[in-house]
Amino acid sequence: MNNIAEKQNTPLVDSAYFEAITTAIRMEARRALDSGEVSAVIGYKSGRRKGSAQPVIITDAARSDELVFSPACVNNLALYLTKAKKEVRKNGKIAIVAKGCDLKALAGLMGESQLKRENLHIIGIACAGVHGGNVEPSEPLSTGTIARKCRECHSHVPEGVDMTAGTLPALEQLAALESEELSRLEAMTPAERWAFWTEHLSRCIRCMACRQVCPFCYCEQCLCDRNRPQGVETTPRPAGNMGWHIIRAMHLAGRCAGCAECERSCPMDIPLNLLNRKMAQELKDLYGHEAGMQPHEKGPLAMYKENDDESFIK
Amino acid sequence: MPTITEQNLRTLIDSLVKDGSRVVGPKAAGSLTLYEPLSSGSELVLGALPRRSAKETFFPLCEDILSYEKKEGKMTVADVDLARLPQTVLVGALPCDAAAPGILDAVFSWDYNDEFYLERRKKTTVIGIACTKADDACFCTAVGYSPSESRGSDLFLLPLEGDKYRCQVITDKGNLLLERYRHLFTDEEGGKVLPLAHPTMEKLDLKKIREWLDKNFENDFWREIAERCVGCGACAFICPACHCFDINDEGSEGKGTRRKQWDACGFSKFTNHASGHNPRNVQPQRYRNRIMHKFKYYDDKFGQTLCTGCGRCVRACPVGIDIAEIINKIGSGL
Amino acid sequence: MHAEKLKNNFEPKIVAFVCTWCTYAGADLAGTSRMQYPSNVRVLKFPCTGRIDPLFILRAFQKGADAVLVSGCHPGDCHYMAGNFHARRRFATFRKLLEFIGVDLNRLQFSWVSAAEGGKWVEVVTELTEKIRSMGQMQEFKALELEECWSGKLDTAELQEAYNKI
Repeated sequence: MNNIAEKQNTPLVDSAYFEAITTAIRMEARRALDSGEVSAVIGYKSGRRKGSAQPVIITDAARSDELVFSPACVNNLALYLTKAKKEVRKNGKIAIVAKGCDLKALAGLMGESQLKRENLHIIGIACAGVHGGNVEPSEPLSTGTIARKCRECHSHVPEGVDMTAGTLPALEQLAALESEELSRLEAMTPAERWAFWTEHLSRCIRCMACRQVCPFCYCEQCLCDRNRPQGVETTPRPAGNMGWHIIRAMHLAGRCAGCAECERSCPMDIPLNLLNRKMAQELKDLYGHEAGMQPHEKGPLAMYKENDDESFIK
Repeated sequence: MPTITEQNLRTLIDSLVKDGSRVVGPKAAGSLTLYEPLSSGSELVLGALPRRSAKETFFPLCEDILSYEKKEGKMTVADVDLARLPQTVLVGALPCDAAAPGILDAVFSWDYNDEFYLERRKKTTVIGIACTKADDACFCTAVGYSPSESRGSDLFLLPLEGDKYRCQVITDKGNLLLERYRHLFTDEEGGKVLPLAHPTMEKLDLKKIREWLDKNFENDFWREIAERCVGCGACAFICPACHCFDINDEGSEGKGTRRKQWDACGFSKFTNHASGHNPRNVQPQRYRNRIMHKFKYYDDKFGQTLCTGCGRCVRACPVGIDIAEIINKIGSGL
Repeated sequence: MHAEKLKNNFEPKIVAFVCTWCTYAGADLAGTSRMQYPSNVRVLKFPCTGRIDPLFILRAFQKGADAVLVSGCHPGDCHYMAGNFHARRRFATFRKLLEFIGVDLNRLQFSWVSAAEGGKWVEVVTELTEKIRSMGQMQEFKALELEECWSGKLDTAELQEAYNKI
């Protein structure tokens, strides 16, 4: 299946790479806070479990040394700048640590007028990849632990940032497992695909982690929480689950930045990013739209061209 | 002591299924392990902590509680026939899962007897199993349980060398089951117990934690630990002890079902009033409720802690919130 | 007799979401011109195709529709200038999503029918009805509606049988 020969669990980068990024982030955070340029820094700090990391918001320069960067720094921190997190979004400029995919989310939010570039100080990461879901945080970054999205990432080097932390090591070409899975699904009959998705989605427990971690799910009133009228059943039964995930994918079509946080956060291991990746691919084919590191003035579904394809309309 | 081989344990499941019981146990479900109904003994997965807890054997993710139908202008409401709930054996429940229903009995039979929960409890026999594998998210030892804790089990299995289990009878219900299938057990003395799991966290002084919580409803600590909280329900839904639920009517004006489903205090809508006012209007207040409910309110009311230290929430939290770290900090006076 | 007819001759349920300015008027014209077309279609009127949320289509399928028809003004004719242009992109995207989930796209039809095209309305509805009649019921969403998550299951037929034997 893989056309790239790939050894199981071969380490991908050495730890010095992460140490260098950590040092750079700390220095920049201290400088930015000390100088008063920013009021807060959103980054990662270590947790209790060995090798674990969690998002942190620091406002005191003295705490800069808590910041780290490791393969366990998986979160898309752009989430903390949306209006869903009003308590975080204070006045003034905020510094944020952003990997390539997070940067695309920031650009998307700017395009949707949710953020202003001048209110951000972006500390970009020259990112070699991070852990996937269900990985022991203490594990090194290897072919066995790297996230599926990172295997086919084209955004290793951040663009348009205020400073870049770390230098990108030489990266191996990894098997594009997610694209392969997507092709496998596309080759199926509709009935087989329906069986694939009902099996996965029936397992959904509606914990809403996929919605809550998504930087683009910032609606104050989610459609799926509405009950008058009710659009999607709220009970975690197969029917409502299918409705919810279809609507979620539709609402993210043309907006999703591909950070795959939904898939990583899903406690039931539902491959949600396949839906997002499929929609991204379709919108590229249909309207040439791709999420990038620079904001688009309008999303593909917020605009039109008079000569758009209408071969499917009678 | 009654002893059963792993092979016979699987045969026991086969026999139970054949005799008409619903048997629930850890089973492979795609990439994960879940407590699901087993159709044969060979499906039982041993040695893995299922992703969701065993509470759903008693308190399902979603269940119908009544149905209604309007016919010729007349509305009829039909209750769920509880007699249809099947006799169940929960097999292979790890100590942290087996202990939880014992804690939940208090709240489900307090001011209102939740007949759905209680009927399932009555009809379920729990075969617990000692735990042999812990990671650094596990903290049962910190909250007063252990890998060999038999509380909550009716029968408890202790793994021995040579693929065997020593079976301890904990309750009469357990004894009944054992006697019925006695031919699958042998009587053996001795035998070497396999090394059990060894969670690293020291026992915490839960009384001291409660005292701190008593005094610190307002504290900057809540903001500090929970401003990262994204407000999903992952922690609550996979928790063996979280038991909040919501009730929804689904269907149409003419025909529908009233359903009970899990709810979570992390959701922003959890305390939202019809007026639009939300008494817990920011995430740290919601997360505070999670800790308070587990380590103070439930203790105040029922004298128990609402946490068995399974570590599921620690592993599943999308933003790495670690309840063990938090109570440890509170316990050590911050 | 009605049941007999249903058994031998499946009558599809088709939901049509139409815009009030063009297709609704077109369907009206078909009616006032006494044109005949299958009565399988249930017409829901919207201000504009731009108002038709993909959720409505999904909901129709979930509630038992065998096919959905979405119809509005021809490009350039929108009463609100660009509502149908936006709708066109949205539906082009949505049908790709449904296809990926495993829905047969033969059951989702889009058309432009102007207020003067009573004949086209008849043609579109007749053709769709005939197609769906030969395809049979839309099973997927209906089956899903009946399905329970395992923990919600009270009982199974097999278990019940086993009880009866004890």
